[in-house]
Amino acid sequence: MKNNYICLFFLLLNSIVVNADDDMRWSVKGFGTFGFAGTDSDDLGFYRSITQTQDVTNSWGISTDSRLGLQVDLKINNSLHAAVQWVARDHAGDFFEQNLDWAFLRWDINDRTNIRVGRIGADVFLLSDYRNVGYAYPWMRPPHEFYSHLAVNHADGFDFSHKIYFDDDLLTLKVFAGYSFNQVPSIGSETIDLESPVVGGILKFESGNWTTRAGFAYLRLLTDVPNEQLVNILNSPLINTGIPGIKQVIPDLSLKNTNVHYYSFGSIFDNGSWLAYAEASYLNSETNYFPDSVSGYLSIGKRISNVTLYSLFGINHSFQKDVYVPSPIFPSPQLQELSQIVNRIINNNGIDEKSVSLGLRWDFHPKIAFKTQWTHYWLGSNGTQFWQDNSLREKSAQTNVWSLGIDFIF
Amino acid sequence: MMKSLILILLLFSSFRLQADIAVIGNLKNELSSMTKKEVKNIFMGRTRLLPNGSFALPLDHPELRASFYQSLTNRSIELINAYWARVMFSGQASPPLKLPNSQAIINVVKENKGALGYINTNDIDENVVKILLILK
Repeated sequence: MKNNYICLFFLLLNSIVVNADDDMRWSVKGFGTFGFAGTDSDDLGFYRSITQTQDVTNSWGISTDSRLGLQVDLKINNSLHAAVQWVARDHAGDFFEQNLDWAFLRWDINDRTNIRVGRIGADVFLLSDYRNVGYAYPWMRPPHEFYSHLAVNHADGFDFSHKIYFDDDLLTLKVFAGYSFNQVPSIGSETIDLESPVVGGILKFESGNWTTRAGFAYLRLLTDVPNEQLVNILNSPLINTGIPGIKQVIPDLSLKNTNVHYYSFGSIFDNGSWLAYAEASYLNSETNYFPDSVSGYLSIGKRISNVTLYSLFGINHSFQKDVYVPSPIFPSPQLQELSQIVNRIINNNGIDEKSVSLGLRWDFHPKIAFKTQWTHYWLGSNGTQFWQDNSLREKSAQTNVWSLGIDFIF
Repeated sequence: MMKSLILILLLFSSFRLQADIAVIGNLKNELSSMTKKEVKNIFMGRTRLLPNGSFALPLDHPELRASFYQSLTNRSIELINAYWARVMFSGQASPPLKLPNSQAIINVVKENKGALGYINTNDIDENVVKILLILK
């Protein structure tokens, strides 16, 4: 009997001998959300992000927030580390490729400096590249006004990060460059491919209960929306006789070779009992498809034992300048319709959204949290850019979004 | 009177025995002690190095994890898990290696110069491992 125990002990011992210095080690970890969401509108569909293909209305659905992520980490030695993260979720385009958020090799030059090469997550805002990890933040989903239009989830390239310690405080500097290929849905089952070189940087300062972060990114779009057919029509002499000057709007229908600059600043306070998040951004673009916009949110929460109660206020407002689209010189319904379609494509991309949310997170298990959230949205007359708007409304709208779900890590 | 005093003392001492967690290191580890801040920086993934510059191998204990982090950071285990979800799922660092029990931790600490574990003080044999910090 005793011998058996000794044998068992040695077996166990063998399996858990680890070498601190240079042992190859790997791990598989994951996270996920099972969520259920719905609105009280039948013609205004809610998306968590503009990369999603399925909206939810008053007929509720699970695709908005449900997701499952897997991450494989491989420690090759003390200075080399590889990681792959793949997140099954509703995303336009190639299900495997678009959902592969990372596949990188990290070289830790020393304890303060590292370089990552491969596919890296987009990282210029507070939620960094854990936007998909519901367990890591209090809300049901990242604040809609701030995060739903950030279609760039990853880029293929490199980043360089350096940490500077000041006694108890830590400053992190990071720069990155890469090529991003992200797909967003278009009308019907079509997708628009957004390809662009992207460069940027962040500064992050962590001190006690505070984390403050500033980020910048620049990208130049190299691909265009599929508009050849429309451009051909607008170029035809016959059409230009009926609508003089219509071909002058052709450059405004293009996405290619436009520049986008993005700036963000945010702060998190968390002392274990109270938590607060605030973040603001400015997007400057040369395209009518994503007009210049400012967005921000403020969230305050209170933890009572393992329950967190929170409130969230968000806003996104765009400053597009309407492009003049000529009207037909004689009353032809077809030409009238063409002029209206062109006008809608160019001038109906505004964002005018505000919301207030109340929610609850209950950590009923150390690795599983239950969440529920109510959000009331105010949308301006030209502000349903982040929604599936089936009504072609000319007036403002309001709607409620309810959701509940569980977030887990494993 | 005397009896109840003894009882109180007994209760107090058994409480103390359960409450104290010690951070242990390898006998060859050059450090003679560590501060709470140094231990926290390693177990929270802010540095991978011991104060003397060699690589650290932090180890987590399955049952003592909640009280260890509570005493080290003043945060509940749910908050520590959410913190690691942020750090780990943004590719910055990996959490301490989780071992099945105190004996496994002692064994790994015994074999690895940079290993750091935490166990109940009453499980420690100072001929085998070194106490670097006692958390009360």
